[in-house]
Amino acid sequence: MTSTTRPPDTDGRPTGPAPAVRRRTRSQARTALAFLAPALLALLVLRLLPAGLAVVDSLRHHSLVDGVTRFVGLDNYGDLFGDPQFWQSVRVTLLFSVIVNPLQVLCALGLAVLFNRRFKGARFWRSLVFAPIAVPPAVSAVIFGILYRPEGPLNALLGVFGLPSQPFLTSPTQALYALIVLMSWVGVGYWTTFLIAGLQDIPQETYDAAAMDGANAWQRFVHVTLPLLRRPLAFVLVADTVSNFLVFAPVQLLTGGGPEGSTNLLMYDVFRRAYSVGDIHYAQAEVVLLVALTLAVVAVQYRLMQGKGEE
Amino acid sequence: MNRSQGAARPLSRRTLLAAALAATASGAALTGCTADASGDGRAVRFLGPETPETFRPVIRGFEQAHPGLRVAYTAVPPAQLNDVLQLRLSAKDSAIDVYCVDQPRVPALSARGFLTDLSGVGRRARAAVTTEQYEISSWNGTLRALPVWTSTQYLFYNADLLEKAGVGAPSADPAERWTWERILDAGRRAMQRAGCAYALILEQTDAYYGLQPLVESLGGGSGITGEDMLSPAVTTDGWVKAMRWYHDLFADGLSPRGVTSFQLASFFTSGKVPFFVGGPWNLGSFAGLKEFAWGTAPQPYFEGGRPVTPTDSWSWGVNPYSGRQEEGLKFMEYASLTTAGSLATVAASPLIPAHRAAFDAYAARLDEQATKSTEGVAAIMRHELEHTAVSRPRSVGYTQFETVLASAFSDIRNGSPAEPRLAKASDELVRTWERLR
Repeated sequence: MTSTTRPPDTDGRPTGPAPAVRRRTRSQARTALAFLAPALLALLVLRLLPAGLAVVDSLRHHSLVDGVTRFVGLDNYGDLFGDPQFWQSVRVTLLFSVIVNPLQVLCALGLAVLFNRRFKGARFWRSLVFAPIAVPPAVSAVIFGILYRPEGPLNALLGVFGLPSQPFLTSPTQALYALIVLMSWVGVGYWTTFLIAGLQDIPQETYDAAAMDGANAWQRFVHVTLPLLRRPLAFVLVADTVSNFLVFAPVQLLTGGGPEGSTNLLMYDVFRRAYSVGDIHYAQAEVVLLVALTLAVVAVQYRLMQGKGEE
Repeated sequence: MNRSQGAARPLSRRTLLAAALAATASGAALTGCTADASGDGRAVRFLGPETPETFRPVIRGFEQAHPGLRVAYTAVPPAQLNDVLQLRLSAKDSAIDVYCVDQPRVPALSARGFLTDLSGVGRRARAAVTTEQYEISSWNGTLRALPVWTSTQYLFYNADLLEKAGVGAPSADPAERWTWERILDAGRRAMQRAGCAYALILEQTDAYYGLQPLVESLGGGSGITGEDMLSPAVTTDGWVKAMRWYHDLFADGLSPRGVTSFQLASFFTSGKVPFFVGGPWNLGSFAGLKEFAWGTAPQPYFEGGRPVTPTDSWSWGVNPYSGRQEEGLKFMEYASLTTAGSLATVAASPLIPAHRAAFDAYAARLDEQATKSTEGVAAIMRHELEHTAVSRPRSVGYTQFETVLASAFSDIRNGSPAEPRLAKASDELVRTWERLR
């Protein structure tokens, strides 16, 4: 096997790059490192260090009775696995994710395809869809809190159509779905922007070629749009999944995890244990498990999306 | 020549980078300097759940009495104060000097090391404030906070609605206190005859403070027992009966679901409900409403039970991580241990001062300024604090107790059957408290 980068010199010994080239390479590496340093530092200080501290903290326990903090190994994890409230929170979070992520991505995709076309009033409708992005999540929660009140506008609207009033946030069977609607109202417009950008990157020629081959609109969507939109779709799906694993403000403001724990998403459960109950080490263990769960789901999504691309 | 040029280029990049980093660092330093020189540089940083207007008179009074010292107040929504304190104090945040302490949380905050030892002013405090308030602000014999307010609850009624319904108004005399059963009968009549949407509203739904009297009235106990006060007792007959009554109140449509505690007073002032049970802070806001005929009576009790009212309120504590503890303590001493300061804390909102002399002056002022609506309020207050007030339990696990029960109360209000939900809360408390040991 011969090296393609290091041709033998006349003595038959391999030679490295000229000293000037070597110096330039080292200098460029140093410069690159210097430019990357702020980002790497931020990554270390703001991400890796807190993550490491969370893992270390999750292995300790503070006793309020004697005031001593002890190393307890994996006991906090053991307690969590035996805690029915934790498992209920996991179930609620997974159910929420299984519904809200496909719903948001499909709605965002549909709206992106629609708004990528030119039609009368497109800008107005686009603005309406994008408007919730500008509203802080806490404000959105307050707005929906009023809408969902038993004597609120939504029930008044149902009354107009002769339909019975609904309990919405006060019902264990409806509260989670009410939150899903709220989170979708907030999120769909945001994810639509990424997909519109992706659609606009698809060359018109590919559609023209497909049309010449006799492909109808649905076939063009399935065989041209979707494959070429794979990268932005993968990003939206993963980012949406992660953001929905971290939903907190609407739960804190509207339901407090209830009724009957039906909206006790893991992120809120972590907050409750850490700051309402004051068991910070237990909460850190839950944080570690939440991150592990999120990474596992994201890894599966990446794998599925890659597999689809290879086909 | 070539060499010098080659060397000069990376050097110039490094210089640029260094300059950029230096500029960033200087910017950060300047920002820090600016923040420090913003005028609040040596101010006492005070955190609490009340509106800035409530504390404006006491802050103004303190600043006038102590030239050179200033107080910067930060308001946190009441429902979030305890979470915010836990978050910031566990991170050893030094940007809080003085903070409001919910009195039953003194043991838990002391056990976590979030309150300084105030023994140095113990003798003065004992002389200035009521014995109950001194004790509730101490833990294991050490004064940990200075009491500022105590509290009670009143029954407020809409006189016009009751008249329209043909129901006589409740008496202000504690000896003629109404029962909850009688209140609901009258409330139902007001719904039928006066077009009220609801019969009764309890201001502090889901809060142990507001619901403890229901349970204690039926002999249910505080809910915490044991030598170390870390064993739940929330499934007693009294608890179950009181929570069934609470469940039915909402299930029968006599009280509204899905409305937060802070929006409930508006139901009363807008004429949707004839009875409202709430704290003394409502006296001021109701008095400001024209053409609203209302009256005050003692809080009801259950037939066959005993009259019980909630009590205790807020103390103020010094953050052990603060670098301005001395200044903070001066501010607290002014508000808690001087008559002028204590009265200033209730000038903008009619809460009940913990200071003995200020309490007498406050009660006298209530009598002097009594209107038809507040006739007898001072007598009710004195009677309740002396005879019917029951403090919340003292336990290092109170924080967890209140949090777990708040969820249970909320679920019961939304329709969960009382008995199994209390049993679930009891199990959760056992698990949670086991982790405190």
